[in-house]
Amino acid sequence: MNPSLTRRHFLRSSSSCIALPFLASLGFRRFASAAPLPSRPKRIIFIGFGWGVTYESWYPNPKQTGADWSLTEGLKPLERHKSLITLVQNCYHKHSQDGHSGSTFWLTGANRYGVPGKSFANTISVDQVAGEHLGAETRFETLTLSGPGDGHGPGLSLAWNRQGKPIAGQPSPAAAFHALFSNDKTPPDARRAALRARQSVLDTVLEDARSLSRRLSKEDGEKLAEYFESVRDIETRLGKEDRWIDAPKQQAPTALHQPGESMNGEAEVRTMYDLMVAALQTDSTRVITYRQPNQRLIDGLGIKLDGHSISHYDPKGDRMEASQARDRGMSNLLAHLIDKLKATKEPDGSTLFDHTCVVFGSNLRRAHDLDNCPTILTGGGAGIKLGQHLVMSDPKTPLCNVWLTLLDGLGVPAKSFGDSTGILDTLKA
Amino acid sequence: MKRLWILPLTVAMAQAAPEAAIPESQRAFLKQYCTGCHNEEKQKGKVRLDDLPLHIADVSTADRWQKVLAVLNSGEMPPEDEKQPLPAEKLALLEVLSRQMVVARKTLADTGRPAPIRRLNRREYVHTIRELLGVEVDPITLPADDDNGSFDTVGSNLFFSSDQLERYLELGRAALDSALATGAAPKQRIKRIEPEIEANLRHQQRLQPALEKKDRLDRWKASGGRPAPEFGFDDAGVAIRVGMLLSTELPRVQSYLADPFNASGVMLQNAQWWPQTIDTIGLPPGHYRLRVRLGFDPNMSPRERIIEYGYPGEFGWPAEMKLLGWRAVTGTFDAPEVLEIPIEIPKGGPRFFGIREKRPNNTEFTSLESQRRRQIKPDDDYLRTLWIDWLEWEGPVTDQWPPRSHSLALAGVDVGNRPGEAEAREVITQFARRAFRGQPVAPSYVDRLMVHFNEKRKSEPFLEAIKTPLSIVLASPSFLYLAMGDEAGNAPTHGKRPPLSEVELANRLSYFLWSGPPDDHLLSLALQERLRQPGVLAAEVNRMLAHERFRNFLSGFTHQWLHMVRLDFFRFNARLFPRFDDTVKHSARQEVYETLRYILEKDLPLQTLLKSDFVVIDRPLADYYGLTGVPPEGFHKVEVPKEMPRGGLLGMAAILAMGSDGNRSSPVERGAWVLRKLLHNPPPPAPANIPQLSRFSGELMPARKLMLAHQEQPQCAHCHRNIDPIGYGLERFDASGSWREEELTEITKLNRVVKTKTFPIDTAGTLPDGTRFQDFFGLREAVAAQKAAFTRGLTENLFEYALGRPCGFTDQERIDAMIQQSEMKGSTLRSLLLALVESSAFQSR
Repeated sequence: MNPSLTRRHFLRSSSSCIALPFLASLGFRRFASAAPLPSRPKRIIFIGFGWGVTYESWYPNPKQTGADWSLTEGLKPLERHKSLITLVQNCYHKHSQDGHSGSTFWLTGANRYGVPGKSFANTISVDQVAGEHLGAETRFETLTLSGPGDGHGPGLSLAWNRQGKPIAGQPSPAAAFHALFSNDKTPPDARRAALRARQSVLDTVLEDARSLSRRLSKEDGEKLAEYFESVRDIETRLGKEDRWIDAPKQQAPTALHQPGESMNGEAEVRTMYDLMVAALQTDSTRVITYRQPNQRLIDGLGIKLDGHSISHYDPKGDRMEASQARDRGMSNLLAHLIDKLKATKEPDGSTLFDHTCVVFGSNLRRAHDLDNCPTILTGGGAGIKLGQHLVMSDPKTPLCNVWLTLLDGLGVPAKSFGDSTGILDTLKA
Repeated sequence: MKRLWILPLTVAMAQAAPEAAIPESQRAFLKQYCTGCHNEEKQKGKVRLDDLPLHIADVSTADRWQKVLAVLNSGEMPPEDEKQPLPAEKLALLEVLSRQMVVARKTLADTGRPAPIRRLNRREYVHTIRELLGVEVDPITLPADDDNGSFDTVGSNLFFSSDQLERYLELGRAALDSALATGAAPKQRIKRIEPEIEANLRHQQRLQPALEKKDRLDRWKASGGRPAPEFGFDDAGVAIRVGMLLSTELPRVQSYLADPFNASGVMLQNAQWWPQTIDTIGLPPGHYRLRVRLGFDPNMSPRERIIEYGYPGEFGWPAEMKLLGWRAVTGTFDAPEVLEIPIEIPKGGPRFFGIREKRPNNTEFTSLESQRRRQIKPDDDYLRTLWIDWLEWEGPVTDQWPPRSHSLALAGVDVGNRPGEAEAREVITQFARRAFRGQPVAPSYVDRLMVHFNEKRKSEPFLEAIKTPLSIVLASPSFLYLAMGDEAGNAPTHGKRPPLSEVELANRLSYFLWSGPPDDHLLSLALQERLRQPGVLAAEVNRMLAHERFRNFLSGFTHQWLHMVRLDFFRFNARLFPRFDDTVKHSARQEVYETLRYILEKDLPLQTLLKSDFVVIDRPLADYYGLTGVPPEGFHKVEVPKEMPRGGLLGMAAILAMGSDGNRSSPVERGAWVLRKLLHNPPPPAPANIPQLSRFSGELMPARKLMLAHQEQPQCAHCHRNIDPIGYGLERFDASGSWREEELTEITKLNRVVKTKTFPIDTAGTLPDGTRFQDFFGLREAVAAQKAAFTRGLTENLFEYALGRPCGFTDQERIDAMIQQSEMKGSTLRSLLLALVESSAFQSR
């Protein structure tokens, strides 16, 4: 009469099989990168959780700074990694003034109204800047992962391209797994032919685009330029695929099973984290952004309220309890990610954690509060001093200064980013 | 003070783009509290305000004022140790500044130039593919396009990414796969299940262990205090718990197996957790008839005898169903009926299908269960409600073979038995012509498409090979963009809005009223350049309004105009509102659309939307409102008794439920909605970094008293004093839009109610213009009196939706003209739509 599946049964089957990847094998080393590198590459992960945290129980006491600080209730699950995480307070985006803009400007710092004649504008996101520099040697310049947009504001992911247009992300663990690890069984020649066929498809749509653009005005041309740009993007990707055609995609780490199509929100985020580790481990990419699902994660954590209400908690009662449960759940997942990065050995004996910077934060503190954006930094990829609680003396320190500091630590030659005013030396190891 | 700023705005409306400006009188505030530190010499914090222009004419001035607004809102400025403005002074500046910032942003974005071309949004893409190929596509991989704060037709928000282009190629291919038929017609067959086979087995399996446990338990009880582990229980506590569980479980299982109805069917008990399912395994996708033989307990009231059907929830959580619909059932246990429901089984869709009695769509429906227990059969856990004898699929149903989609995909070309290159070229050319909606198809483009065909044809049969070029057409810009091109290649003069060609006009009209491509009739009028002949356009509009495809406007426009996405923001608390289930919620949403359709068909004045003595509802909603006399199918007009608080948008369950968080009604959300949508007086956007009001948290308080906290600080009061008092008038409706006598408040901890208190409700309030009202009826009257503001707001919204660009200040004269023209024909929705379509704005770029 009814399907005999139970919720528990499903969870077990969808997530428990993903164990730590094991990859420092000979085969891995051979394909790790085009040429053996003198030192391990630097990587960076941005995880945006959108709806903020519980202000009262997530932020550490601002009087305890430096290495001497206590973990709060919301950060408790990170206890075992306390010496590895740095929490930065008092940073914000000065142009973020709309309580409903979510994660749209988190990695860009842009002024929505910055372009006269437009009611919406954005600029390139920091991951894309990093990718332009770090992505040349990997199959994917950057990897964009993106859950549903609920609460994250306009955009398709955390990433925005040079033209300030949104970049779409892999929407699910299954899709991300496919992109990263599904190998085409067809021989290289046949795949070259397939690439040529795809190129030829692009030529044909361009034929139509050109005859259309001849009929259009200048303004229309600007809009149609998006179409041309996306064709160019695909061509770049095809070009890259062509260069990589003889190098098969990395094997998925043996313990990483192909994820199912639908899973509980908590399992989904955990699996995405595992996939991020696997993507870095196989050197498929060095720059990752993940727009973490809001409501699905809340549901998956067994919290019975909706995320919007939780974000507008009042400091007593169910909503705040739910908000705190969400914080703990998120810290737990971050702790899991750090565990994995630390457990993943690099061929030179160091760990992935030593060469990867993880940014875990949001543009929104809670409700409509856009100041003192929650920001956690961890990992050794960008030369950040770890184990610190850093409260910037200026409560209006540009978050873009943090982004600039990370770019600098990654070796990306950027003079400025967004509304940055300079590198934050206090963050540097 | 209010009049001061409303006045310049109204005057400005008649002119070209006004400049946002702060009144000279506010200079004194800056002088007194700001420029002491922020002047030419002393630029504290590198901020200088003495030279800040009062006219906000450029982005940098706007950004500087935005900062002033931000620091005033957050209370950061003036600093604590400096002289503080009086609350009234601060309030006055905040009010004018927040309003003028909205004006400034709008003015600065108003280019007065033609809206650029735009691509089809996700809704339009689906409708366009349906018209072109006669098949449904699942657009889940495309961006939703509806979350950017304006209509999904506004081109500047419709981006295009490389990922999307690949999705279009895939989706187009999938659509052609389902459209083109190869081989013989699929055989129609029947798959029937007798659900009792599995259900009885399951109950038998539960019975044996339960009897065995009962036996051990009885022996333990009779043993005179021997240790429980001797009887297989961990300890005495466990034994007692097992006993408690058995005392409900065992009689239920026994009653079930003893019930004669279960020998030949399945009894669904007491709004039970799981729906009865039937799988679709082994069935090819297509149209099916689902038949179910079923009946309800004849003791249940007819309003309870409704079933819901849909897909059981994911994660083995079948209680949360994705509902597809509902049906009123007349059959009973003794006289069952056979329901027949047409269902589309999509390719790769869910494999289970479920039926259950109508109830809250989650696992928290205990209140309904206990309610039932009291009502029907007190002292018995085995509550019979719905009996299902059998279920069957019949299909796939094909009324013609090859299906209509097949000839649509071949663009009506008869390719004969041995189609070759000539037929391929003909199909491709005709298909592209249809797909491009009257725009030219370049021969060089067809040549290229033929290369793809010939390449594929080497290894594939004709019908397979043709899919590649056709799917490329469906990813080409002339298909994906609503191009507004001048075929002669004349670029429009900068800054002017040249008239649309007839083909462009047909497309704009069709995407406005149908969210899809023009049909042959409309397009051929355009190609013959007859659309602008006297009377032709009006006749076309009337034809299109009566067409079935107009439903795409009703849902597409109305949903966005009234911001009905809010209805899906929250979960409605099933413990507090067991009757506001998903079926009622769906009907409530539908009521808004159907009311719009009704006033259009009857050509009633727009004001009817604000106040009417009737509602347009279906049966679940009639039950919800406490009205009778509605036929079992569809939406119908029903007169509302005078004392009943329904009739008009303000009395609709959907609108009221949107103004809540699923638990409590929100006078703020409701008040702001009325200002935005009915009074055309939108409050400024929610500001960032406002100090949170939490003085009352953890106390049981009526909503109205909580709202008073908003009056305590100027940065809250300047907006909330206009918003909250409107919401008070709707406080007699609870969070689910039901009428209530008093307000129930409760404190919950860990999802359990720890304290409740009820309060009387005071519904007296005011509109921003000072009009006072005592209750819902007074509020409705006062709002209905503002029909001019309502009409203007609706007109501007229609304008934006139709033209795909924001309605700027430079458009105000056009808006005025449309309203005047519509007034001459009774200010109806039809006359307004006609005035819009006939306006020069609609007919030019």
